[in-house]
Amino acid sequence: MNRYLKLVHMEIYRFRYMLAILMGLTAVCQIVGLVLYLNSEVQYRYSHFDKFGQWPDSNAMSFARALFGTQGWFAIPVVLCIAALILYAFLIWYRDWFGRSTFIYRLLMLPTARRHIYLAKLTALITFIFALVGFQLVLLSLEKWIFAFTVPAELTEHSYIAEAIEANRVLATLLPRSFEQFMYAYGIGIMAVIVAFTAILIERSFRLIGIVYAAFYVAACLLAVVFPIYTFGIDRSNAYLYPEEVFGIECLICILVISVSVWLGFRLLAKKITV
Amino acid sequence: MIEVRNIRKRYRMRYVLQDVSFTAEKGQITCLIGMNGAGKSTILKAIMGLTPVKSGQILIDGQPLGKSVYEKVAFVPDHLTMPLGMKLSEGLRFMADFYDSWNPQRAEELIRFFKLDTKERIGNLSKGTAAKFNLVLGLAPNSEYVLMDEPFSGIDMFSREMIAEVFSSELIEERGVLLTTHEIGEMEHLIDRAVIMRDGKIGMDFDCEQVRSEEGKSVIDVMREVYLP
Repeated sequence: MNRYLKLVHMEIYRFRYMLAILMGLTAVCQIVGLVLYLNSEVQYRYSHFDKFGQWPDSNAMSFARALFGTQGWFAIPVVLCIAALILYAFLIWYRDWFGRSTFIYRLLMLPTARRHIYLAKLTALITFIFALVGFQLVLLSLEKWIFAFTVPAELTEHSYIAEAIEANRVLATLLPRSFEQFMYAYGIGIMAVIVAFTAILIERSFRLIGIVYAAFYVAACLLAVVFPIYTFGIDRSNAYLYPEEVFGIECLICILVISVSVWLGFRLLAKKITV
Repeated sequence: MIEVRNIRKRYRMRYVLQDVSFTAEKGQITCLIGMNGAGKSTILKAIMGLTPVKSGQILIDGQPLGKSVYEKVAFVPDHLTMPLGMKLSEGLRFMADFYDSWNPQRAEELIRFFKLDTKERIGNLSKGTAAKFNLVLGLAPNSEYVLMDEPFSGIDMFSREMIAEVFSSELIEERGVLLTTHEIGEMEHLIDRAVIMRDGKIGMDFDCEQVRSEEGKSVIDVMREVYLP
């Protein structure tokens, strides 16, 4: 347990600069976008007022509307962070094999169960995901404050953070309103990471032919997860099973895919892996 | 005692190790000798569980491989396997964090002996300096066995002398050492036992002192017999 936590710390420590860069990029991009948008909108309203002696028809500015107007500025860094993390799900393993220092030698020779290496990498990656999501939430509060600071009170209309999140499609997916939705989205994401980890370990164990095995494994997992939805249908009125039943089957299959992948990953790491 | 019993390993449709058996005793320096590609490094990796074998058995003091083996056996690969961004001090810290057998006093002694700067980054080390640090990581723990893969390759003369000095010091004396080399020359007087490998098989396994006194042959003479019959 102790060594597992040390490994988690090491993995996070190794990614610290990258994480900081991703956070910095998100903050800069979103804040710059927001400030540019707000300034031009406020200016437009004042120039309209100066010209016609009255505010334009839709004069009220809310934080939610500001986010609606800056879709790209908000979405691009978020998508970039997601892409970086997807890439790092692979790099977190491969960086230890390639390059001048093949750190995997040392990792595999640590006097601890090898599954701790797997779990530490997985924990680190999940930590990065939630660190970035959490950072986005904090950033939104900060941005709301910037909004209040930039827009004069007579033009401000109140809105809730939740409405602001809903206004941006990427943010709405990233931070779903219902806890259930949150669990599905992130559960499926983490399952995908676990399947990818196992595929990587298959490749690292069997090398060239391992690529084929790994591809088959991923395809099998995908098929297993998608299969019940297509076979039984979930939104059909003439379906043989109740939606709750299909949902139950789906959950079971996901748990099965996760268990088999983790078990296989542990086993490959303990018995088959080669440096 | 490290016992390797009948190990076989296949790689890309051919056997790189075929029925390899030998033992390395505690308190002795055993040397795996062979040309490039004879399978020396693969054996060391197999002993450390870094690559699977198809069949056969590897026992360390009668026990099969397991996580406790890594406290008992240290491995010095042919290159330094620590992240390049780490400082030497961080590398030492890492080892101390994970290994119960880590001996910080000895690590410090070795750092001083090799005149290493612990503030330096691992990525900035020259090849010879990296090899020295690699030895520090391998020799500082209180392990009973040390495996070394080509500890002398690509290292300048004076550094070689320093490393050779370590071999004849008390740092090694009590332990069992298994090392590989393809240039036996300057190692010859240090080693107790030689295992000559050829094409994934054991060509000859002998006690150097005995062969020297009874048959008047050096290790190189025996190698000639094995490789050029």
